[in-house]
Amino acid sequence: MAAPIFKIAMKQRKQSHRYAKQGVSLEGGIRFFFASNAGLTIVILVLIIVFLLKEGLGFFPGYRRELETYRIAGLEFVDISRRNLTAHEELVSVLNRAYQAEINGLAGRELKRMQEALAIHNAFSDKVSGPRDLITTNMDAGLEPQAPLMNKLRQRFEEARKAALGGLPAAPHLTETERRALLEHLATREPNATDDPPLVAETAAEYAAAREKYAAPLTAFREVIDGVESAGSGLGGLVMEMTESVTGTKEAIQRADILEKDRRTLLAAAANAKDPEERNRLTADAEAALAEKPDIEGPMAALMARKPDCVAAHKAVRSGCADLLAKLPESLSQAQANRLLGAARKAVPVFLAGLDEAPARLEAWRHDEPVRTHEAVVKFLTGRDWVTGGEWQDFYGILPLFAGSLMISLIALVIAIPVGVGSAVYVNQFGSRLEQSVIKPVIEFIQAIPSVVLGFIGILVLGTVLREFSQHDWLAWVPGFPIEERLNMFTAGCLLALMSIPTIFSLSEDALNNVPAAYSEASDALGASRFQTTFRVIVPAAFSGMLAAVLLGLGRVIGETMVVLLVAGNRIKIPDFSSGPGAVFQPAHTLTGIIAQELGEVPLGSVHYRALFVVGILLFAMVLGINAVAHRFFNRTPI
Amino acid sequence: MHNPESLIRKGLPKGHLKDFVVKSVLGLTTYAVVLVALLLFGKIVKDGAPVLFKAEAPFVDLGFLLDKNETLHVFYDAEGVRHQLPAAAYSEYVKTHEDSPIYNEQTFSYSGGGIVGPIAGTVLLTLGSIILALFFGVSAAIYLSEYAKQSPFIHAVRLAILNLAGVPSIVFGLFGFAVFVLAVPVITRAPLDRSLLTVPLLFGDWVVSFQGWNSSLIAGCATLACMILPVVITASEESLKAVPQGFRDAALAMGATRWQTIRKCVLPFSLPGILTSSLLAVGRVAGETAPIMFTAAVAAKDDLPWEALANPFDVLSSQVQALPYHIYTLAARIPASEFTQRAQYGSVFVFLLLVASLSFGSMILRARLRARLKW
Repeated sequence: MAAPIFKIAMKQRKQSHRYAKQGVSLEGGIRFFFASNAGLTIVILVLIIVFLLKEGLGFFPGYRRELETYRIAGLEFVDISRRNLTAHEELVSVLNRAYQAEINGLAGRELKRMQEALAIHNAFSDKVSGPRDLITTNMDAGLEPQAPLMNKLRQRFEEARKAALGGLPAAPHLTETERRALLEHLATREPNATDDPPLVAETAAEYAAAREKYAAPLTAFREVIDGVESAGSGLGGLVMEMTESVTGTKEAIQRADILEKDRRTLLAAAANAKDPEERNRLTADAEAALAEKPDIEGPMAALMARKPDCVAAHKAVRSGCADLLAKLPESLSQAQANRLLGAARKAVPVFLAGLDEAPARLEAWRHDEPVRTHEAVVKFLTGRDWVTGGEWQDFYGILPLFAGSLMISLIALVIAIPVGVGSAVYVNQFGSRLEQSVIKPVIEFIQAIPSVVLGFIGILVLGTVLREFSQHDWLAWVPGFPIEERLNMFTAGCLLALMSIPTIFSLSEDALNNVPAAYSEASDALGASRFQTTFRVIVPAAFSGMLAAVLLGLGRVIGETMVVLLVAGNRIKIPDFSSGPGAVFQPAHTLTGIIAQELGEVPLGSVHYRALFVVGILLFAMVLGINAVAHRFFNRTPI
Repeated sequence: MHNPESLIRKGLPKGHLKDFVVKSVLGLTTYAVVLVALLLFGKIVKDGAPVLFKAEAPFVDLGFLLDKNETLHVFYDAEGVRHQLPAAAYSEYVKTHEDSPIYNEQTFSYSGGGIVGPIAGTVLLTLGSIILALFFGVSAAIYLSEYAKQSPFIHAVRLAILNLAGVPSIVFGLFGFAVFVLAVPVITRAPLDRSLLTVPLLFGDWVVSFQGWNSSLIAGCATLACMILPVVITASEESLKAVPQGFRDAALAMGATRWQTIRKCVLPFSLPGILTSSLLAVGRVAGETAPIMFTAAVAAKDDLPWEALANPFDVLSSQVQALPYHIYTLAARIPASEFTQRAQYGSVFVFLLLVASLSFGSMILRARLRARLKW
């Protein structure tokens, strides 16, 4: 056994030169030092993976225990009813919104007039608020109106008034005379007047009258809404009662879990303690801390006893709503109202089916059915809710975050690919020398802008500009316009596109440059025009390099944090595509954003903390996968 | 009858219009990008430059650069005059005008005073991380370019560099938090409960405790250094490779050892290149927010990093403010109003100026270097 190893050792030694110094030397040490520094990169990568996994893998057992508590405490049982209750509330709210939208749409002119008059008055009040408040406070304090201080204040008020009258908002729906009358009123208004200006009161009255007028033909619709709303009250009360009882059970179980954990820590400490006296003390402490088993069966039996009530309540809602909902109007006159009504009509069958299913699901539910770890994994990967820090139950479902990240990246790529690749083709193929030397540095300079600055621009400038732009009447046909939220996926996508354009541009440009000159020469020799050469020879030859550029741009976009954290709107909800492509103007939350937002606030080692690490693992794997594919394309040189 | 002239096509070539349209669309998108970039800079310069510069000498508002960050108080005195004072001046005012009331007081966090704290923090973070990254990065590059032959180890190193370069910055933040903040070893007398492992030392009651460095300057520097390590290694290797092979051959032929060759004949010639390219890395480090959010940065701090310390090394273990994090705070946590604009746009302008000058400097130096060093 020893002989062959010795022989191999001899062989290796023979490979070095016979005059080379043997053994340990300074040179060898220096070489080892440099080699170990090169190895540091591997160490860092391994450390990243190890620590992400170390913190992340603990998540699934912890989440499994949380889901188990959720089940054995009966929260899951209550949630069957609660989900239907939420669906009911949502349906009523959509119907209410449709009703209001219809009336406001019909009374649109009056509404706008009132809003504009109010806007002028509010802008004026805001601008003179400082001196005005001083005057009223001093008058309330009993200061003589003729006191020198008051005169000074009045003077300041007049100055502020003059400045304010110069910069009031426009009012396209008010006539010129009306606007002038309002301005005149404001110009002579007493500082301590509290009543509304006449025009504001007038327009408000007009609006109220118009609302009443347009509400009259809609009474049937109103009755349907009210009827549906009141049908849910029985179920609502029941859910509320059950909620209270199951929350108590859950808290008892959690308390017991914490005690049990403390006991284990104490026992572990006792095992490690050197001093026998201390060990005895710790063991005694541990035994004293033995948690009494929380009573689960009692409350559970009480909960099960309510099952018939639950079934009855569901049936009551079903029978109460079904007839009424059949009486919904076919269509409404206003576009917005009609859209909402359409959404409600679409939701009705789903809602009724949920009610129909509920009794069977309530019957089939078992509190002692075990929760397995793979269920926790599946719930994490396919869960539609990311709810944390709530009193009821925390859910960690990745889907809304994933959808947000994906949507924003798609928006960014849809903008960045044509622009980035197009400008690369232009600069490389058609640009003059001057254009090349100007455009390239400018686009590459965009890369140097830190992402937090882009986020800042988005939050302070771009969001507002886009929203105001979307409010023009002639753009109303664009789906999703006017934009409701200032911070949304589209705004974030625009900024991310700007971030990824330099990457896509420079790498595509490199790919175009790397196409051998012989290609274009051969094409020219065959009589092809400049355009034929570009689009039929050079671009296809550089295609794989451009694809790699796009993929690297995608990797950059998905991993970007600050822009999406600031600009995407941070609403944890799967974008609602039922309203068509306008969904891109909804706010969303992202994988990167959730880590940045929540890691600073969670307790170390908690399930929530670990969930964020699992999100990190997912992100890491995704970006590395994309980059690996991109590099595969990179290395494919044109033949 | 045979007229060669007829073979030459007259007038505009076929498809001329289509070509023209395609070309102009491409050109327009290109100029649109340039325009957007210029608009963006224009907006920041327009709103930010007046904060930093002023008409009379010394032309720069030193107060904004050199004062500490404070809460801004806006209020009216009894005569209806509006005052905007940072917290310290405000309490001074209240003390001297004890008997006169104050009306309509509003406070705006982080909006008063200057930004010396964030600037100092960013400078320290950048310096620390670039020193670490240069040390390890250049050493690794020397190995890769001077010593390494084809081997599985080198292959693994190159793969690691490639992958590290793609890791998202927030994942580096998570990594830095889990490793440098919570897990690296420290020598202490009183290990924390969360320590992963404690190893007693032989003297006294000192132990090595794997409990991390907490959120501190050094943890932030280490995280940032890991993040830019691949950039520094790639750039340094490129500069080392640019030194002609003849230099090495000549030195080795004279009987110099490998290390002597590197020290005398390779490093001196590649050092300018290495430093220039690392300026780009400096720009990137200065701009990063996500990795320092949990490892080093703090939103508000009364003292500068080096003030109020028992011993000078404590600066490494204290949290710092940082310019990018300050901008994040200004953008996300306080509502925009006319009183916060100065702090917001001023900080962004200073920050952009800093990052842009680093990136410009790197570009210009690189161009000059290319012109000078020709072998």
